Amino acid sequence: MAYDTSVTPDAVADLSAREIRRSVMGRWGLRAGVVIGWMAFIGVWYVFSGAVLGTQQLPPPHTVAAEVWQVVTGDGFGTTLWASLFRVIVGCTMALSASIVLGMVIAYSAWWRGLLGILTRFFVSIPTVALAILALILFGASGLGPMLTAALVATPYVMSSVAQGLTRVDRRLIVMSESFGRTRSQIITGVLLPSSVLAVIGGARQAFALAWRITLLTEVFASSDGVGFQIKRSFESYDVRGLLAWTALFIGLMFIFENFVFRQLERRAFGGAHVSLATAESTR
Amino acid sequence: MATILIENLTKVYPPTPTYPQQVQALGGVSMSVTGNVFVAVLGPSGSGKTTLLNIVAGVEEPTAGAVRVVQDGVPAQVGYVFQEPRLLPWRSVLDNMLYVQNRKSDRSKREAEFYLSMVGLSDVAHLYPAQLSAGMQQRVGIARAFLVNPDVLLMDEPFSHMDALTGRSLRDYLQRIWAHTRKTALFVTHDVGEAVELADRILMLRPGGVVFDDIPVNLPRPRRPDDAAVHAVETEVLRRFDSMEAAVRFGDQRN
Ligand SMILES: Nc1ncnc2c1ncn2[C@@H]1O[C@H](COP(=O)(O)OP(=O)(O)OP(=O)(O)O)[C@@H](O)[C@H]1O
Ligand SMILES: [Mg+2]
Repeated sequence: MAYDTSVTPDAVADLSAREIRRSVMGRWGLRAGVVIGWMAFIGVWYVFSGAVLGTQQLPPPHTVAAEVWQVVTGDGFGTTLWASLFRVIVGCTMALSASIVLGMVIAYSAWWRGLLGILTRFFVSIPTVALAILALILFGASGLGPMLTAALVATPYVMSSVAQGLTRVDRRLIVMSESFGRTRSQIITGVLLPSSVLAVIGGARQAFALAWRITLLTEVFASSDGVGFQIKRSFESYDVRGLLAWTALFIGLMFIFENFVFRQLERRAFGGAHVSLATAESTR
Repeated sequence: MATILIENLTKVYPPTPTYPQQVQALGGVSMSVTGNVFVAVLGPSGSGKTTLLNIVAGVEEPTAGAVRVVQDGVPAQVGYVFQEPRLLPWRSVLDNMLYVQNRKSDRSKREAEFYLSMVGLSDVAHLYPAQLSAGMQQRVGIARAFLVNPDVLLMDEPFSHMDALTGRSLRDYLQRIWAHTRKTALFVTHDVGEAVELADRILMLRPGGVVFDDIPVNLPRPRRPDDAAVHAVETEVLRRFDSMEAAVRFGDQRN
């Protein structure tokens, strides 16, 4: 067979068409995978509720879906959801603000890095349930417990990812700022924060993901309202349908937040100034 | 009038995990620069040029020795042009200029625009650094240093990353803008031709950070790199560098 080394425009077009097809198929393949996964999950659920556990113990998906509809249209849904969401947002905000401050401290001071490293190891080793119970003892059934627990548990993780983002800041830009007499706060807002925007958004996402899980868990123990409390109440009154409905609902909502709200934020940060940052790095 | 007074300046970098040996970047540099002069500090790579400028700019601490950078008795305002442009990638060219200004007003914006026009960049003020060529970015760096109305201008091999043709035209821009302001300038370079073309005086630095020669350049401006007079001084500078090297080598043999 002749070995043709020349590249014709047609060959290029053909190649790129093939590549486009492959990437489109890859994307659709991924989506198909997700759909198949969910269908398999629902199928297994039906099998378990019909043949293994019985519909009393595990109501089938369509019953739970109907219950979700009941919950959403019933009274008190808004207040319950808002109670939990409020805690998640406050807990997440506390964790993120603490993490930005501590992340800076870690990134720039070896002494604090050592100290916080030890504290972090200690905190991470405490089971979250223990903190939740402690929150119940300290704050009773007020909303403060879930918020603080969420903030406390999320902070060590978020803090270290923010610190990592900050240590990647170009030192030379800080020297430039200092030589032009910029103040410390001007350098923080002008150089440090913009160059770690992506790390901070990543940290916010992480804080949110941790905060809602912990809030939900803590509400089960230490709250008199919110989604976690509703789940507990359903459980205590043997209302498996209600329990599953609330759980599915909240997980679904948080999933939407994590995958759409934060993706939009990231996209905006990338799409704006950080496009030029990315190209500046690739052309250097 | 601005004065840079440097006495017996020493800088020793302590050992680091990656380079477990201390490095003497400057070994007792003394110099005095006063008035509206353009001084070139000429030295090979690693002779401590960047370290010297960083200490004069106040962004690095000396190990020993004294530095005074004053304007009429008070600390002088410094404008620094770096080896690479050092622009904030997330700000437009104009916003990069405004970043170094203390007050934000219409007047400060007009000043920024004026210095951008001096380096021929009026049309790209709204673009981001990544959208400019390396030479254009460095011109922004030059305009930024002049914008703070510095008493002392520090320049660290600002053209060493440029190709020869770009460097040639940027030196032209610099000569023009410097002739307009005549700020006290300390210009670091390893390029003999560049030093002779730009400077009134050339201080020669050898590895280990020691000044071994101080050569006046009394040539009329504007100078062109291909002038015969510029060539003659270049030859003289190179001759002195060679004899310094020979002396250092001879000294090594005796030890
Ligand atoms: N932060 C630092 N830590 C340790 N050593 C350093 C540091 N900065 C510079 N040095 C060392 O000090 C010496 C002088 O460095 P400097 O950058 O001042 O030289 P230079 O004349 O500017 O060189 P070049 O022409 O390559 O820019 C070099 O040996 C360098 O390795
Ligand atoms: Mg240097």
